[in-house]
Amino acid sequence: MLEYAEPVIKLIDEFKRLPGIGHKSAQRLAFHVLRMSETDVERFIAALQEVKRRIVSCSICNNLTDVDPCRFCSSPGRDRSVICVVEEPYNLVAVEKTRSYKGLYHVLHGSISPIRGMNVEDLRLANLLPRLKPENNEGVEVREVILATNPNTEGEATANYIKHLLKPLGLRVTRIAMGMPVGSDLEYVDEVTMDKALTNRHEI
Amino acid sequence: MAYAKITAMLLESLETHCFRNTSGKISWGPNLNIIYGDNGQGKTNWLEAIYLLATTKSFRTQRLQEAVCFGEELAIVRGRVACAQEVHRDLQVAVQSGTKTLIVNSKREAVTRYLGQLDAIAFTADELEVVRGAPDARRRFLDRGILSLHHIYVQTLADYNRVIKQKNRLLQDASNAEQSAADVLPLITPWNEQLISLGSQIHHARAGYVTRLNEVLERRLFGREEVTIRYVSSLEGKGDLSDYESLLAERLRLRLPAEIAAGYALVGPHRDDLGILFDGHEIRTYGSSGQQRSALITLDLAAISLYYSWRREYPLFLIDDIDAELDGKRIEHLLKHLEGRTQTFITTSKESLVKQYLTRANVYEVKEGLVAEARLLTNKSMSLVTEA
Repeated sequence: MLEYAEPVIKLIDEFKRLPGIGHKSAQRLAFHVLRMSETDVERFIAALQEVKRRIVSCSICNNLTDVDPCRFCSSPGRDRSVICVVEEPYNLVAVEKTRSYKGLYHVLHGSISPIRGMNVEDLRLANLLPRLKPENNEGVEVREVILATNPNTEGEATANYIKHLLKPLGLRVTRIAMGMPVGSDLEYVDEVTMDKALTNRHEI
Repeated sequence: MAYAKITAMLLESLETHCFRNTSGKISWGPNLNIIYGDNGQGKTNWLEAIYLLATTKSFRTQRLQEAVCFGEELAIVRGRVACAQEVHRDLQVAVQSGTKTLIVNSKREAVTRYLGQLDAIAFTADELEVVRGAPDARRRFLDRGILSLHHIYVQTLADYNRVIKQKNRLLQDASNAEQSAADVLPLITPWNEQLISLGSQIHHARAGYVTRLNEVLERRLFGREEVTIRYVSSLEGKGDLSDYESLLAERLRLRLPAEIAAGYALVGPHRDDLGILFDGHEIRTYGSSGQQRSALITLDLAAISLYYSWRREYPLFLIDDIDAELDGKRIEHLLKHLEGRTQTFITTSKESLVKQYLTRANVYEVKEGLVAEARLLTNKSMSLVTEA
């Protein structure tokens, strides 16, 4: 005997496939859908379909976009000599929010994690090397690649791998710094971050 | 009881709710506490509850859900801790459907902030693995000790284990596909680079901890035989250990074909050991059961004394089934050594031991399988003073 009617179970199962959604949340979402009006549901379905139909990945940087090349890659205002490598499109957004970075991006769509079945060949890396040539970059030579993968073991391994790939080419390869969040008090920083910040201290 | 005698870290009372078979509250004494009762009454459960409150872990199981009383959903362990004479904190660990919630003074706290309010070192039958068992038990002993002094070591260990896990998967795949070292090298290097940096940190932390343990080790606590320890790196005899980082890098390079053949990581501090010698002989192989216990107690006491020299306060010391683990003479030695230092909790099923220490200890009798009832025994009446 099933807990709920079959269509409800199907919906709960679909929600459970989503990341970060457990059984209880899935159940809550499914019952919310049941209470929604017909028009609300249709708008929701249309949004899902539209995003799948219209969003493609940029052929240059792999960022998600509705125009190809994406707005960053086609913008004349960006500094084409610097490329910032990030794991996910939302990491790009985080860098972009600084408003101080004016270069280009490269989105890997993941990090190396053999235990999750994510290997080097699953990263969207193949189109990074050709980008570094001036003839593929509107005549501009790439001076620096910033590795802004996450500060965990997988992000670190990914950065290490790309570093070995790029170093022989003679361009500058940098890794984002790890340490203190700005605008907060020392006392609110966790011990691990504090330790990193102490290790990576610099002379002033 | 004079609470002022020991100035820091004192467990004043402990309350449990559906934690294994215990439910109730006990007020503890500042020095020696004896939990007495027949076997199977739940003595160890009280020790386990104290240990859980102090470390958020169990010394019996990795899966805390097992500690929730059968048929119940939620287990709660709550305790009042005197951090200083005038500073009291209420700590609580709740276990429900496999997750634990940590609370300090009615407010939820992250584990990193929770730890360090209370600390405990436990001498249990399981801990005998340190002197008897495989090297991993000894590595855990060292890591536990380092963690109690430097909480951030937890991140180093977690990252290292993660790197080893990832690397093992790569090696396993390479081994199955019969790949050559040259093919695997570019894929393994990103992990080896982290292994070298994290592995060096672990090596130095452990070697340094052993050096400091050696300095405070009471070598002849239990008589003539002398206990010595030394950190045994798996890279010993392979080159210059004083430049560990370079040596590790070199060994990783040389051993890659062997690692591929094996399908798992062969090089790094996850293969190290702690050598424990009793009068120059390896205790695991040549020590008698009594000598092994003595050596372990000696190590625990050294860990306690190191903890004190670092933090200026003593952790709680828990000894499960003390008479099964030690003979009368050793117990006397040990309890004398601990007097005025740690707040000590021991369990025993021997009435003679209780009678012997009645004047120097608070004694609690635990009875009846499912709902344990703690009674404070006094010299005269052996009467019931339950707060449950």
